[in-house]
Amino acid sequence: MAATNGGFSGKVLRVDLSTGKISLDDTVEKYLEVLGGTGIGYKVLWEEVPAGTGPFDATNKIVFATGVLAGTGVPCNGRTAVTTLFPSCWPKPLVASGHMGGHFAAKLKYAGYDAIIVEGKADKPVWLFIRDGRVEIRDARHLWGTGIRRTTLEISQEMGPDCVVAAIGQAGENLVPLSVVMNSVSHSAGGVGAVMGAKNLKAIGVQGSGSVRIAGDKSEWERLVKFHLSILGGNNQHVVPSFPHPQSEYYNPNSRWVGAPGKRWGAADPPVEINGGLYDLNRIAFRANSGAFYLGDQAWQHTVRGNGCTGCPIRCHTILKVPSVAAKYGIREVAQNTCGGLVFGRSFFKHLSGGHKGHAALEACMVGMHMADDLGVWCNYGQLQRDLIKLYYDGILRAKIGSEEYASFPWDKYENGDPAFLFEIIPRIAMRQGELGQALGLGSGGLLARWSIPEEAWTQDFACAYWKLGHPKHHANEDDGQCGVIINTQYNRDSQCHSHVNFIRNGLPLAVQKELAAEIWGSPDAVDGVGDYTPMNIHKARRARWSLVRKELHDSLGLCNWMGPWVASPLKERGYLGDDSLESKFYGLATGQQISREELDRIGERIFVLHRALTIRDMGEKDMRTRHDLAPQWIYQDPNGAQPFTKGTLRMDPQDIAKAMDMFYEVMGWDKATGVPTAEAYARLGLESVAQGLAAKKLAPEAK
Amino acid sequence: MLGEERQTLCQALAEAIREASRAGQLVGRDELLANLREHSLLDPDEPDIPDVEPLLAETLATHQDLAAMASISGQTLYHSPSLLSRTYASILDRKGSPVVLMAEEVRRNSSEYPRPVPLDLFEHPPFDLTPEQIDSSLKTIAENPEFQDISYTTTSTGAVYLFSTRYLERLYAAFLAERADVGLLLNP
Repeated sequence: MAATNGGFSGKVLRVDLSTGKISLDDTVEKYLEVLGGTGIGYKVLWEEVPAGTGPFDATNKIVFATGVLAGTGVPCNGRTAVTTLFPSCWPKPLVASGHMGGHFAAKLKYAGYDAIIVEGKADKPVWLFIRDGRVEIRDARHLWGTGIRRTTLEISQEMGPDCVVAAIGQAGENLVPLSVVMNSVSHSAGGVGAVMGAKNLKAIGVQGSGSVRIAGDKSEWERLVKFHLSILGGNNQHVVPSFPHPQSEYYNPNSRWVGAPGKRWGAADPPVEINGGLYDLNRIAFRANSGAFYLGDQAWQHTVRGNGCTGCPIRCHTILKVPSVAAKYGIREVAQNTCGGLVFGRSFFKHLSGGHKGHAALEACMVGMHMADDLGVWCNYGQLQRDLIKLYYDGILRAKIGSEEYASFPWDKYENGDPAFLFEIIPRIAMRQGELGQALGLGSGGLLARWSIPEEAWTQDFACAYWKLGHPKHHANEDDGQCGVIINTQYNRDSQCHSHVNFIRNGLPLAVQKELAAEIWGSPDAVDGVGDYTPMNIHKARRARWSLVRKELHDSLGLCNWMGPWVASPLKERGYLGDDSLESKFYGLATGQQISREELDRIGERIFVLHRALTIRDMGEKDMRTRHDLAPQWIYQDPNGAQPFTKGTLRMDPQDIAKAMDMFYEVMGWDKATGVPTAEAYARLGLESVAQGLAAKKLAPEAK
Repeated sequence: MLGEERQTLCQALAEAIREASRAGQLVGRDELLANLREHSLLDPDEPDIPDVEPLLAETLATHQDLAAMASISGQTLYHSPSLLSRTYASILDRKGSPVVLMAEEVRRNSSEYPRPVPLDLFEHPPFDLTPEQIDSSLKTIAENPEFQDISYTTTSTGAVYLFSTRYLERLYAAFLAERADVGLLLNP
């Protein structure tokens, strides 16, 4: 592609904390072939961080990267990928990325940067000051030891109210592998906080007075943005409401489009009533209420409003106000988050009075957000909490931590679902206090190794949801059969891929989903009903490939893969079809460089394969099929003994999964025996030098 | 009746149907005729017009955004599905008969998506049944052979989900109910 003068801010900021040197790279010149986001992250790690580097070594680098569409008017554009060697990846740290929304991405671009590469290690706590072209490494000793909120406040007072601060809490400072960096109050990237902590980097504050130039036709840009808005659904692109409505042919009680007419944001002053037409483009923000989705109708009376990222009308970070927690626990009565962050506290408990949607659950959520979002503890997509539940209820815990420490926890509160228990457990994780606090903070892999627990104890337990390498499943066979399994084998942390599940859970009838699947992926057989799985076929393999490529594309364009892709829509007049080429259309208009859907997908594939190559190199392993692309034993089990391919079971068949991997490798152009990309596959993606680098290490498949 | 006159009546009927749909209402032959009279398109003293059924058929044929549905009352009702969807229209039509309302909605969900539905769905709009109405309807459903396909499953949290055995096997319904009630919430 030719050079571009739109979309990109144009510069990548490089900060060496060891020397204090600050320099710039030209984004387009150096990184256009990988777009941005994870693409830049993987490229930097491939070229600059040698195999064998530890996550806390000064030679490790951490890359904060946005993308072409961040900071524009494209819906759902507020994403920053944070890529580094993950300390929670076990038994060996490998490349992975955390992803944060909020306003950091836009501010960074308005300041003139598409990415920040942080390298080296400061000799004392510092924070990075960025105000347009002015970049300084500032003393953070007065901030060290404080939480994310205080750090954000202090830096905001120093910089001014229009800055965005991404900070770590005590967990990151203390090198707890399960720690986050967080911006804009509640938007976190998991797993990377301790890498910042190891570099003595407390925070990054960004102020930008610039803008992002759109190179293409402005009216066409506006038209496309309006069209994109029209095909948006609710949170996670659920395209039907959760309630019957005169304007909708379909509904789904499990849809995250929960804003029914007559519901109210009851804690707003004055309360705001959900009104207007179902498809009004200026009322899209009424659709999502993560509080109500996870905590039921009680959440409406506590809802202040929806909050969210730059350019995103979905507003999935629900602001909740619960006065009783201020009186009862002495904490702030207001908190906000979504998904795993919202239910952080609730997820610790196996039993809660009133169930998962009762008042105790609501209070547990409030306490959890209050603590985790300040201390900066990461839930590892809920695995942290599931680990504690398993350790406790399987009777493992007492023997591992000793009687004295065991007695220091109020286990009666834990068993009774008392949110006060969280005040005992969460700070100990952040501060690495005691054996349990230290072990839990390592993540599952570190915990298992520390306590000599065989990994099989976790991989055979469906309820534990553990997958591999110290991390859990993320929308695997419980959502999407073989397609979900394939996707979950590919990453070094939980897969974080939503391309597939957003379609599966979109709420449309299966027959309609199959019609769309035929149009998008070439066959209705690309999709099964959940728990009614059919044997593997090539169309599912193609959909898995498409899902992974789109995930990497979104992560590299600054788009939200928790919302996209947008291949289904709420629009009956379109037969519920969305648009599979939105990303390339927006890219073309933003940069002024037209690109086809296929060409852009090829770049997405290049980024994905670069991740693969990095993993191969850092594992020092070319048999990825049997050493990396693993699935836990629980996917081959059924609690009632049901056979695979019978209705109502998630049980997979080992031979069928082997066939699924064969087909996936085939559609990727990879070697079936080892699961590594062939020389031809690297060459097709313009990664010849990567292939040569691996071949030199004898990590490429033998030439045929 | 002249062609131009028929066209005017069809246009008026179409507008009346759309207007009713915008207001969230189904409309039948009698209301439509009353509407024509209100707008002085029919002689108020004439009790009926002889070819009203063909006129309504012609209205539907020439206005493809409109649809007719057989009401549980036996009469034909009209609506504009883009303003009042077929699903919502059928719910409105059955609101006067909670037993049929519940049974048919359960069948629709079981056959169309397919999925069982949580019992508490019927407490919320647009169903708006009271707990007493739901209890009473469930008893009627259980006792009436006409509804013998309507069954239920209970999840691990104690939530009740209804399904139709015509379209969903019991084990599959139980699986889908557990996933809906527990699995999706614990799997964000």
